[in-house]
Amino acid sequence: MEIRGLVKAFGDFRAVDGLDLTVRGGTCHGVVGPNGAGKSTTLGMAVGLITPDAGTIRLLGHDIRRARALIGVLPDGLDLPERLTGAELLRYTAGLRGLDPATARTRSAELIDVLGLAKGAGTPLADCSTGTRKKIGLAQALVHAPRLLVLDEPFEAVDPVSALAIRRVLQRFVAGGGTTVLSTHSMLLVEQMCDDVTVVNRGRVVAAGPVAEVAAGGTLEDRFVELVGADVAGEGSLDWLTRR
Amino acid sequence: MTAPVIVRMRATMFRRSLRDPGPAVAGLAGLLAAGWLIVYAVRPSAQPGTLSILTGSWVLGWIVLPLLLGGVRGRVRPGHLRLEPIPVVRAAYGLLLASALGIGPAVSLIALAALPAHAARDGIAAAVVAAVGALLLWLLGLAGSAVALEAVGRSGGPVGAALTGVLTGTVMGVLGSVWAVAPWASLLLVAGPPAGVLTVLRWTPGFWPLDGSPVLLLPLALLVGAGVLAYASLVRHVLTGSARPRSGRATTASGRFARGPVDGVIGRERHTWLRHPLRLQYLAFSIVYGVLLAGLPLLAEVRLLTPWAGVLIVLWAASMAASLVGLDGTALWLPLTAPGGERAEVLGRALAWLLLVAPAGAVFTVAGILVAPSADPVAALAVLPAVLGAGAAVPVWVAVLRVRPVDDPRRPTAADNPTDIVSVLLVLVALVVTAAPAFSLVVWGPSWSRWPALAVGVLCGLAAWLGATWAATERLTRRGTEVLAAAGRTTATPTTRIPLTWDAEWVRTHRVTVWALALLTIGWIPVVPQGLMVLVFDIEGGWIVASHFAGPARTAAALSMVALGGLLLLTGLLLWDRREPATAELEPRDA
Repeated sequence: MEIRGLVKAFGDFRAVDGLDLTVRGGTCHGVVGPNGAGKSTTLGMAVGLITPDAGTIRLLGHDIRRARALIGVLPDGLDLPERLTGAELLRYTAGLRGLDPATARTRSAELIDVLGLAKGAGTPLADCSTGTRKKIGLAQALVHAPRLLVLDEPFEAVDPVSALAIRRVLQRFVAGGGTTVLSTHSMLLVEQMCDDVTVVNRGRVVAAGPVAEVAAGGTLEDRFVELVGADVAGEGSLDWLTRR
Repeated sequence: MTAPVIVRMRATMFRRSLRDPGPAVAGLAGLLAAGWLIVYAVRPSAQPGTLSILTGSWVLGWIVLPLLLGGVRGRVRPGHLRLEPIPVVRAAYGLLLASALGIGPAVSLIALAALPAHAARDGIAAAVVAAVGALLLWLLGLAGSAVALEAVGRSGGPVGAALTGVLTGTVMGVLGSVWAVAPWASLLLVAGPPAGVLTVLRWTPGFWPLDGSPVLLLPLALLVGAGVLAYASLVRHVLTGSARPRSGRATTASGRFARGPVDGVIGRERHTWLRHPLRLQYLAFSIVYGVLLAGLPLLAEVRLLTPWAGVLIVLWAASMAASLVGLDGTALWLPLTAPGGERAEVLGRALAWLLLVAPAGAVFTVAGILVAPSADPVAALAVLPAVLGAGAAVPVWVAVLRVRPVDDPRRPTAADNPTDIVSVLLVLVALVVTAAPAFSLVVWGPSWSRWPALAVGVLCGLAAWLGATWAATERLTRRGTEVLAAAGRTTATPTTRIPLTWDAEWVRTHRVTVWALALLTIGWIPVVPQGLMVLVFDIEGGWIVASHFAGPARTAAALSMVALGGLLLLTGLLLWDRREPATAELEPRDA
């Protein structure tokens, strides 16, 4: 993934302000930043769900439209076809991606098994928990065997056991030559999973490179706070919180 | 403290809703109707049976119509209080109190004043009983409306949704066939209902306030209590999140896998049509409304419309499908990230609708022909394929052109009904224009052209299908991100500012918008006065082009004008789709 000079403004607010991002093939790349830093907007533009005001995006050497067949997407906060069950969503997306029914059946069954979705796959999506929706969303992003995965907050509201299952799937995907770009608020997860990291703040890249290099000898969390600036505690003592 | 806060929330939302002219117009119409009801009630000739039917129908309409027309966006709903630690009873009380603030309740209270006004002729005691009864009826309407709006899509489930569709279709069908039931209505207003009907009426709540006996107020109060309890139960359902997940549906082992992108979308749409409460409601409404509009005139021995039952069902099913993209929330991201997903999305939606509605259209057309064999069915048969072709594709185009978002796509209730009158009218006009050539050939054409008109109907339907699916695919391909943003926007939509005074700079920088506006304005002139008014009302005038011709040439001139206007409007819409972009994009929750 090659992003150069990406800009997106919503009214007067520049959510992404001249952002450059390079993701090496066959790696897991974390995008981190505080709330409102521009992570989701950047990933949304990278997969063609938001139109940038300026900048260029190349995915696996193609423009976004040509690269669609090669990418799997898990956006954050967007709806799914809510009346379908998880299993039906996989059938629908497999059809949408042009998979033949036999292949789609085998892959869907495997994904449901590996991601622990045996129960959730029979429940209408509208009734599924956020964690189950994330896992089903990941399954639909994987069913057509993409070469690039773009995942926005894939571990949000996912229980530790499910998170482990997701991590194993993603590690196998990268080990097989696939590329993963994911946004997250968990620095620990980036340290455990990702080869490279890009720290975004106020729509700009403030640090990028191999995780160890960006962490600069300390923990990524400390370095992150240093880079984006921690909120300074205010004057109030909040004594009332401790009164009995 | 809870209730005043909820009422203030409602007051703010209501005040904002008044920026739109719709509520004011509806309020004025309601006031006129309420005024007429009071005038009728104080007439010496007024019949208590008739008055009870009218006031009972009023309360029923108050409960039912918002389910169909939406228009309750400014309502405070239980879901808004889900995260607040408010006891259920206080929340339900506050929500009901807040729902009393609005044009509908105010106008209804005035209309129900007709009851004590009528009862006053029997003395003060009767007037007091009627006044208390009217107040109880009003409370019944208030609680009933709240229950209906919240129940559809929640505890009501598919059966509740279908029943709502049947109820709204019946109300609209009877209102739409008022000319056919007018003789009965006239008789009702002057002489009152027949004795048999009066006996039944005595058992309905609408009659109890007029009975003069305070004892009958007790069952009315019990009904109000039941309505309030039902509403409190729904509120508890929402606040405590006691909705149980419905599991056990198809898993991977069962069910059919799609053969290609279009098949995938058809499968998704088929499941959604049969499970989504509002879509089920639309379907049931379309069938009942179409059947009643075609069938009720039989009461007046008019058989002309009976073969048109199928066509009318198709018309309403198409118009009710004009806002479906918004109803699905932001789920559109899936096809927008798949290769060729835009085309599959459009064709899949159109084909799924066709597979669902075409059988109903065909069956009811045949049934109509069998019920009224003396009515000429050729025009209906020629028009049916045209409206089916246009009805399947045009709503998809309109739905991606004018996206009406809903607050909660996961758990929609009738309050989320995104049906938009402009979108509905666009679809209806498109279907009428598509059907016009076949209809004209049968009705005004030479006698030999009656049966070939069927082929014309098929061709026009095909042309409308091709045109609308192309336009919708184009729209999604070129402006898919904008459509997605509109579907996800639940706050006010930023719109392109169109200056009201001459602004040369704006015109220079917005040429496409200017051309689109010009075509969308002048396009109506050939369609309506030059075309439809000549064809339907046979108007004359120096500036009416068709007036300068006679016979078939006159019809041809009028039809050409309709076609010319349609072309101008279509070009205008296409240009509007390509107008200079406004800053209208989806801002992610966490940018």
